[in-house]
Amino acid sequence: MGAAAMNMLAGYGMDTITLAGSLEAKLAAMKRAGFSQVMLMARDLVGHPGGVEAAVQAVRQSGLRPTGFQVLRDFEGLSGHLHGYKIDIAKSMLQMCAATGAKVLLACSSTSRHATGDLDQIAADLRKLAMLAVPLGIRIAYEGLSWGRHVNEFTTAWDVVQRADCPNLGIGLDSFHIVAAGTPLAAIEDLDPSKIFLVQLSDFMWQETPSFEERMTTARTFRVFPGEGVHSEQLADLVLRLERIGYRGDHSFEVFNDDYQQLPLDTVAERARRSAIWLHTDVLHRSAPLPDWTRGQARSPA
Amino acid sequence: MNRTPDREDVPAPPNRLGLAGIEFIEYATSRPQALGQVLENMGFRPVARHRSREVTLYRQGGMNLVVNANPDDARVSRNADGAPVLSAVAFRVQDALRAHQRCIELGAWGVPSHAQAMELHIPAIHGPGGSRFYFVDRWDEFSIYDIDFKPIPTVDPHPPALAGMAYFGVVQYIGMGRSADWLTYFEQMFDFQSIPDEQRFGILPKGKLMKSPCGGFLWQLVEPEPWMDSGEDSPECLQRLGLGTPDVAAAVQALKARGVEFVESSQLHPEDRGALTRSTLGSLAFELVHR
Repeated sequence: MGAAAMNMLAGYGMDTITLAGSLEAKLAAMKRAGFSQVMLMARDLVGHPGGVEAAVQAVRQSGLRPTGFQVLRDFEGLSGHLHGYKIDIAKSMLQMCAATGAKVLLACSSTSRHATGDLDQIAADLRKLAMLAVPLGIRIAYEGLSWGRHVNEFTTAWDVVQRADCPNLGIGLDSFHIVAAGTPLAAIEDLDPSKIFLVQLSDFMWQETPSFEERMTTARTFRVFPGEGVHSEQLADLVLRLERIGYRGDHSFEVFNDDYQQLPLDTVAERARRSAIWLHTDVLHRSAPLPDWTRGQARSPA
Repeated sequence: MNRTPDREDVPAPPNRLGLAGIEFIEYATSRPQALGQVLENMGFRPVARHRSREVTLYRQGGMNLVVNANPDDARVSRNADGAPVLSAVAFRVQDALRAHQRCIELGAWGVPSHAQAMELHIPAIHGPGGSRFYFVDRWDEFSIYDIDFKPIPTVDPHPPALAGMAYFGVVQYIGMGRSADWLTYFEQMFDFQSIPDEQRFGILPKGKLMKSPCGGFLWQLVEPEPWMDSGEDSPECLQRLGLGTPDVAAAVQALKARGVEFVESSQLHPEDRGALTRSTLGSLAFELVHR
């Protein structure tokens, strides 16, 4: 892997959920493909044979920077015992997140039928989550799942984030959910780029996913890397709109795919690398760094 | 003075915990004698010892200062070669239990109590780094120290303050770009109010300044400079105490006579506005501020 290609991948990262195998094997494959960051899934830490501590050690030793940590589910809008229970879960997730050195915890909009749809209550709960995260130095990225019960579009998630009005609470965008829910991309213009804490990208193979069930099954088994599916134009449009409003943060590949789970890790990581280069050069038209041979030629040796 | 009656009923700033100042400050250390010496130079006197733990209460004027050398609490200090750590701030509130509950409901991390039988259970939440914020409501009618502490015989339990010194504020070091997060945290939890950048006290005007809703003390948030190596991962902690005095020059003179050294540089020369003691035992320093 040349230094030039490594540099092109700097703003992109893979997600541990895409690859099969041990955490160490996943991290090593990502590094070999030239990535410098990784989106961590709590399950990868907890399921490590050496326990969470050994998993944290593996992440730190890999030298890969955590893009973020996922995922807190069905957190907001609950009351009584359920709320107390979820606060405990959130605290454990925050502690694991902090242990890995990740600065962003992803929280997905609730699917629970026990949760209220009152957006002010949802905002208050997320504000509480953000307060819990302050002493640990963590930011919360709130993402609208396309099958979320009350919040299932990024526009509603953004409304909630604004209501909560908390510096370490922002929005997490996942292209899958945006495309699956069919939210018009023009609404990207309404976002404050400094409050976009995470952008997750993936494509899929179906033209439409009208029902929640279809969205769920597709999202969990058959996503592909950007540029590999049938929504490349929309994905490119999304990435360009984010660029235009001033988003300069990370792009992480949130690709759940049953096929990729049974392929050699390097094969899958190579697909991710191609996807990142497609985004970088073909979509964003960012220049690749000049090859090594162009440098130093004119300079006389010291 | 002729007072104009309030015609417009302007609401007072909220103080939902009934905050009423600082009840005590706690340092954790594995070298309590060394710290005690520094504190005595600063005018504090040891007045009582804890009944069951290696904890000593120092006092001068209205300032209570607890030196905690209990092995579990002092571990953080042992790991730093015995350097004392500003480990807790106890706030006076109207109702400690309710204050604690309110903060927990707003997203604070509770701290489990280790009170022994017949000892006072002081509710606490986690602060920055490994520090704690305590809530104390029994500061009016009787002293909490009468329960957990035994007075040191023959010592004046209420030594007067040197040069009229009193708690003025706390300086907290925070990570890069974290001012907004912490400002919101303190506003939300304690109803602290942000002070405009133009309004400054003392001689170290960096960072973001807040004041307590009771007006009794200030809180200063200081981010690392961009060029500092630690950068984004710089540790967060309670760094330093500010002591207010009506006459900085007199306080400096009195403290110098007791062997306290002050930082004297072109930027930090002791002056009317304030002064900074030279760091000792690691990074232990006190800031004097004119009040």
